[in-house]
Amino acid sequence: MSATQPRTVRVGLVVPSSNVTVETELPALLARLDGAAFSFHSSRMRMARVSPRELAAMNAQRERCVLELGDARPDVVLYACLVALMAAGPGEHRRVESLVAEQLAAGGSVARIRSSAGALVEALAAIPARRVALVTPYLRPLAEQVVGYLEAEGLEVVDWRALEVEDNHAVGCIQGERVMAAARSLDLRDADALVLSACVQMPSLALVDDAELALGLPVVTAATAGAYSILRALDMPLTVLGAGSLLRRDVVAAGAA
Amino acid sequence: MSEREHLVRGVDHAAFPTFDPAGTVQFYRDVLGFPVVHSICAAGWGPEDHPDFVHFFFDIGNDDRVAFFYYFGLPAPDVAVGKGDVYARFSDDTPEYFVRSRHLAIHVDSEEHLLEYRRRLDASAWPVRMQIRHETIESIYTHDPNGYLVEITRALRPVMPQEDLDANLTVEALVDIVGRPHHTLDDLLVRKAELIVERAEAWQDAQPAQDAREPVNAPQGSESP
Amino acid sequence: MYVLDVPENTGVAEVAARDATVKVLRRGPYVVLESDDPIVVDRRATGSRHAVWYSCVAALEGCRITQWDKDALRAEAR
Repeated sequence: MSATQPRTVRVGLVVPSSNVTVETELPALLARLDGAAFSFHSSRMRMARVSPRELAAMNAQRERCVLELGDARPDVVLYACLVALMAAGPGEHRRVESLVAEQLAAGGSVARIRSSAGALVEALAAIPARRVALVTPYLRPLAEQVVGYLEAEGLEVVDWRALEVEDNHAVGCIQGERVMAAARSLDLRDADALVLSACVQMPSLALVDDAELALGLPVVTAATAGAYSILRALDMPLTVLGAGSLLRRDVVAAGAA
Repeated sequence: MSEREHLVRGVDHAAFPTFDPAGTVQFYRDVLGFPVVHSICAAGWGPEDHPDFVHFFFDIGNDDRVAFFYYFGLPAPDVAVGKGDVYARFSDDTPEYFVRSRHLAIHVDSEEHLLEYRRRLDASAWPVRMQIRHETIESIYTHDPNGYLVEITRALRPVMPQEDLDANLTVEALVDIVGRPHHTLDDLLVRKAELIVERAEAWQDAQPAQDAREPVNAPQGSESP
Repeated sequence: MYVLDVPENTGVAEVAARDATVKVLRRGPYVVLESDDPIVVDRRATGSRHAVWYSCVAALEGCRITQWDKDALRAEAR
């Protein structure tokens, strides 16, 4: 059997400057895909506090970030500033994705564009999930905006938690047990799916499989949804293990003909 | 002959390069008052290597837009020699009618509006160069900072249905004769007469309202219900 | 000679018709000026301005234009 060259994929990431989780979890996830070699190239939007003022300032940096990433000739760009988009109002991810796509296309780039916010919506629809529960690290008002955003997308948020951690560095250090405790406290009786982390900075990758087993329903995070969206955008198989049922959908069951 | 449905919605944008973005903004946004409605900042990431650029758009009414590309670092052409604008340069002996043939004409609804734009231009560094009026249209002309000829025009009367017919016959006649060697306007007018003989009466009969004047030597049209 | 019946062309049709040898007919929305002799239209008499004057002929049948300037329009048998 001849060895085939792995498909090399360049992923451009627009991340909040203090975010370290996207650049940890996404590479960890996509490295599990056989036959492909991913490289990651980030551009940063300065943001320390997830507050309305800082979020508005962050979005203004979008053009610069896309310009920088474009120079690296990525195959796909993930706009990984989830709450920044959602805080701006319903449907914002479509507007921003379209502006970024236009900016890339105007320069002749063929990169696909996705966003963490859009990816979450896409992944939930793919499960398919209509009623969802969420765990967020945010202060309540911001968490409510996230709930409202998803409801505007036609989802029903049956229950949610806000861990109320304002500092983005601290969000990146939230212990897994705290996230799981919040998840277990949710009323999941009517939920089709759980968003274990509706945030790209709150670490949650290691928790996903166990949460699915323990809670008995599909579990996604902003990161796994982002990976899902990237793989679909590039027409690549969903054969990532250890990160929830959605990402291993294309894994052929052992013993199948 | 079946007609395909006309689905398009006008000018998304007519795009031109500029080497003077400040002057261009001053002309369209500040003098003419056309709002800036969109911009894209990008680089050349495609197969052809080209500089960073900004693409910016002015609204010219009806949601139509005129747009400009400014490429960072691209040297401007020498406009001191020859004729034309920053996009198309011509030798000195190129006839004016040809140089002027490509231009953007923007519509206004009334004399009052036309004079208002005349006023704005005359108070600026780009005064009206020509004002032309005849029975059907009145126009003012100037060149923008890039040398592009800009016309602002108003119709003195609405277009009448027979003008649509006539335009279509002209175009058909033109397409018919254009393949002949050394064809002239005379050939077009002769071919058009043939088409008129073929089509004009049937067209008239199909028109909804009857003209007040009694047509001479024409078949009686059907009575409108 | 065919002239489209629109307001700015009425002067041309009227002036041409003053010549008794010219018959005025219609075909649809076109005024048809027909004659066995040359048809001559004096521009000043029509009152037409430049752009309208030089675009007033819609079509020619059996004749050719031998003069079309600021003074007159003249059509003769082909």
